[in-house]
Amino acid sequence: MTIDYSFIWVAFKEILKAVPLTLVLTFVPIVIGFLIGLAVALIRAYNIKFLSQIANFYVSFFRGTPAIMHIMVIYFGFPILLDYLIKVFNLPFQSNNVPIVLFVITALTLTAGSYLSEIIRSGISSVSKGQIEAAYTIGMNTFQVVKRIVLPQALAQSVPNITNLIIGFLHTTSIAFLVSQKEITGAANIVASKNLKFLEAFIAAGIIYWVITLIIEALLYFMEKKAKSYSRNAF
Amino acid sequence: MGKAFDPILIIEFLPTLIKYLGVTLEIVFFSMIFGTIIGIIVALPKLFHIPIVRQIVTLYISFIRGTPILIQLFLVYYGLPALLSIWNIDITRMDALYFVIITYSLSHGAIFAEIFRGAIQAIDIGQTEAAYSIGMKPLQSFFRIVLPQAIRIAFPNMANSIIGSLKDTSLAFTIGVMDMMGRGETLISSTAHALEVYISLSIVYYVIVLVFEKIFKISERYFNRYQPHGISSI
Repeated sequence: MTIDYSFIWVAFKEILKAVPLTLVLTFVPIVIGFLIGLAVALIRAYNIKFLSQIANFYVSFFRGTPAIMHIMVIYFGFPILLDYLIKVFNLPFQSNNVPIVLFVITALTLTAGSYLSEIIRSGISSVSKGQIEAAYTIGMNTFQVVKRIVLPQALAQSVPNITNLIIGFLHTTSIAFLVSQKEITGAANIVASKNLKFLEAFIAAGIIYWVITLIIEALLYFMEKKAKSYSRNAF
Repeated sequence: MGKAFDPILIIEFLPTLIKYLGVTLEIVFFSMIFGTIIGIIVALPKLFHIPIVRQIVTLYISFIRGTPILIQLFLVYYGLPALLSIWNIDITRMDALYFVIITYSLSHGAIFAEIFRGAIQAIDIGQTEAAYSIGMKPLQSFFRIVLPQAIRIAFPNMANSIIGSLKDTSLAFTIGVMDMMGRGETLISSTAHALEVYISLSIVYYVIVLVFEKIFKISERYFNRYQPHGISSI
């Protein structure tokens, strides 16, 4: 076996520079997707006419297709749509000026939104009906009930699922290298191709992903404890 | 890119892509079978607290859960030939499909192991005690009492990860496997209609996932048939 161990370290230092982009691609979609997910979950929970059908299809479609499809369809489709809009409204910019990373973030945001809406929905359905009834009996209106009673409990309940999702998304960002983004996998690929040492570069990339995953897991474990501190149950 | 968007092409591409669905399903099927076998083997040391092996297994599970499947795919694709060359076994000319199946089996093995362990540990100890009290042997108690209940708990999680792996197969083309996605890539290079191909592929994946979900829902009802209503929502 011909593994160049010193090259792993060289690749490691080179790939480490790509970590910020990976973290941006992970957390920006999750934060924006959280707002989408919240809106979609509430639309579905309160069964708002027409909108809930759209929301159902959105969630089912984005959960039913691979994330790579979302990235590719938006990567190829958005410029066409944008060019069309520019033509119609005579806007003063070109679609090829838009950085690719924005397409990736848009795609991942939509993906994150669909997954988060399901997580939040299962959190909402775990809040017992008695809690909501009790809130109404002391005179809260629906908005107050949702904001003060339902959501705090629902979100605390969903922290473990959100942890899994964040880690899943960290791993999903590796797909962005297919549209030539220089995140961890992309950087590994570049270092590997330059030196023709693929195995070493991907070992380094694997270690970096692993360490980031462990750090995120540890951080969110403490958050989970904090989020559930109100609960006196055994769990 | 290049050419104008043509919605009719989306439908025209469908039959060409569906022909390669078999390869995609083949990857899912074999990785599921081997993954289950690996999962059972890997879950045992954790269930029976076997020292050293247990630590190795924990490391393996942590690594698989801590790295993207794409990286695992590259590691197997470049690493396995290098590893086997120590014993002078040359597999560099092996079909890329086998590398994909090996990677996905290893990946499933770790995830299934955690699912199995969780499911078996979720069974109340009272069930085993009751089985012993009516004179069953440990093996009988495991296969007749614990396992059927554990399968019921494990099934929804397994169904989820199978659907996840179906979607993950779309990454196999990165090492040159001719599955649905790989065929899509060649269609793009021959027709330059990337957007239409990807929409077409999305439709196929979506339909397959819907079919799988339906099948799993029906099987879940079957596994829950002895459960009183109201509790069966696990």
